[in-house]
Amino acid sequence: MHGFLLGLANGTSCLALCAPVLIPFLLSEGDNVRQNLVTLAKFLGGRLLGYLLFGLLAWAVGGLLLAAGGYQALLIGGTYVGLSLLLLVAAFRKKKPAHGACVLSDAQVRFRRWPALIPLGMGLMAGLKVCPPLLLAFTGAASSGTLGGSLLLFATFFLGTTLYFLPLPLLGAFTRMPDLRIVGRFAAVIVALYYLGSGILLLAGGVQL
Amino acid sequence: MTAQALTREDAPRMATWKALLLALPIIPVAASPVMSALSSGDLLAIIPGFAISILLIVVFFRMLVTGRTHRYRSALFISLAIAVPLHLIPQLFELYGTNMLTPEMTYAAKARFCPMTVGAVLLPAVLKGVVVFPGVIAEGVVWFFMWIGASLVIGRGWCSWGCVFGGWDEFFSRLRKKPVIKHVDRKWRFLPFAILLAIVLLSAITFHPIYCEWLCPFKVVSEFEAPTSLATTIALVIFPLTFLGLVVALPLLTKKRIQCALWCPFGALQSFFNKINIFELRIDLDKCSQCKRCLRECPTFSLDEGSLVSGKALMSCTRCGQCVDACPKGAMSYHIKGTRISVSPNTARLLFLYPAYILFCGFGAVVVSDAVWRVLRLITTGSMI
Repeated sequence: MHGFLLGLANGTSCLALCAPVLIPFLLSEGDNVRQNLVTLAKFLGGRLLGYLLFGLLAWAVGGLLLAAGGYQALLIGGTYVGLSLLLLVAAFRKKKPAHGACVLSDAQVRFRRWPALIPLGMGLMAGLKVCPPLLLAFTGAASSGTLGGSLLLFATFFLGTTLYFLPLPLLGAFTRMPDLRIVGRFAAVIVALYYLGSGILLLAGGVQL
Repeated sequence: MTAQALTREDAPRMATWKALLLALPIIPVAASPVMSALSSGDLLAIIPGFAISILLIVVFFRMLVTGRTHRYRSALFISLAIAVPLHLIPQLFELYGTNMLTPEMTYAAKARFCPMTVGAVLLPAVLKGVVVFPGVIAEGVVWFFMWIGASLVIGRGWCSWGCVFGGWDEFFSRLRKKPVIKHVDRKWRFLPFAILLAIVLLSAITFHPIYCEWLCPFKVVSEFEAPTSLATTIALVIFPLTFLGLVVALPLLTKKRIQCALWCPFGALQSFFNKINIFELRIDLDKCSQCKRCLRECPTFSLDEGSLVSGKALMSCTRCGQCVDACPKGAMSYHIKGTRISVSPNTARLLFLYPAYILFCGFGAVVVSDAVWRVLRLITTGSMI
């Protein structure tokens, strides 16, 4: 319950932190509401994975990670660079039509489907971004002492924050405006460049933009 | 004479007495420079103040008499843009001894609030109740209401009548007779909307005015953050590059206002106001000969092939009046939504000109007058401050 309430209280911050990535991505894909729900589910799946990794880390190293400031900068810088690269791939790739797959081998088909994993990857990176709400959850999990308690806290924290993400697939209602895809792609590139610059500077020497 | 045969040259000019009468309401606003100068008591300020006031009244009168909008507006608009650094930078030197403000100075609310940040500050202000632009908040509130009021009345007309910076790329876009780059891909028209979306989202998470800190070309002609870190040093390299690229080079090569049309997020925000205000630019399809001169002349890519079918300009139209002046058939006109296209375009133009000109005088008149005063001061005393 503590994790859920913590997530609920800080969910707007989590949404604000993920929105610059998620909104341009959803717009650039130009999908309808149902397809956006699938994309959001993948993104949230990635986030959950990231949170559970944090839960594992909190149980394993306790408060040590919080004390080591340098690692935080490296982790944030790394996730920023990862996020920016995924966004750039999403912005520049051309969506292939579904037909014609029958002439490809299974391996080729599987390879061609890899872009479907982009939202999962972005969710994972977003989940690993060390932000103030996550640090609060980390502190709570580290003090729980058990692996189960730590994972449960992060899972419930995830549930609490997820409620705020649910309206986002409604962006699919604007599929009749194809120009929004162009706006989404440009915005994804701009956000990606911002994160790339921030990430490189953080990795280089802990400079925050 | 039929409507089809009526050419721009044949268009009726307004009678002098009527134009004089209609110019009267402008006098109180146009008089602001001379009133401001008189209150200072400085003879060196009274002369330019008086001259600017007279000039503003004469220009409006000429707009009415000749039926031409763009050429007069453009001259005033460019003058304002050139006047802004002459007015602002010496003022900053008077106050702080520099136009490079440190973060401490900006966060101590010593920076002037910039109207171009309105789009970026709205979301954080709504979500968190914090105005992320570190300017004088009271000034920001005044700006906000002036911006809302003006935008509701003239929509994106703001970008050709009220913006204090747009005259720079208008100036460079008018220097060459013919463009070197004649085709710009349609997709670039969406870049300002993308920049707007990105900076609104990023400003909401970072609580920093991202556009001002990284992308604004006009930092070159106003104030900017002192280079106290690697990040601010990088920004200092970006500002002149964006200015030279978007405000100087590309307008020279394309004869278009590239910064306004393909970059400015504030302009993108203003475009939405075009949807909800009463004025628009219309093409009378009965008069139009499909010569496409308006498409070539429009400085902001706001007319396309579709416009020649629908008879409407795109939502990015800045109501500069260039297409209206250029149309050889008089088919382009200012128009009030909901009225028939053929009904009294001159009345619609007049009703648009009043608020637009008042906006220009409100923002620009005192700035231009002060800039002229500072130049005179430089000549007579050797110092602008």
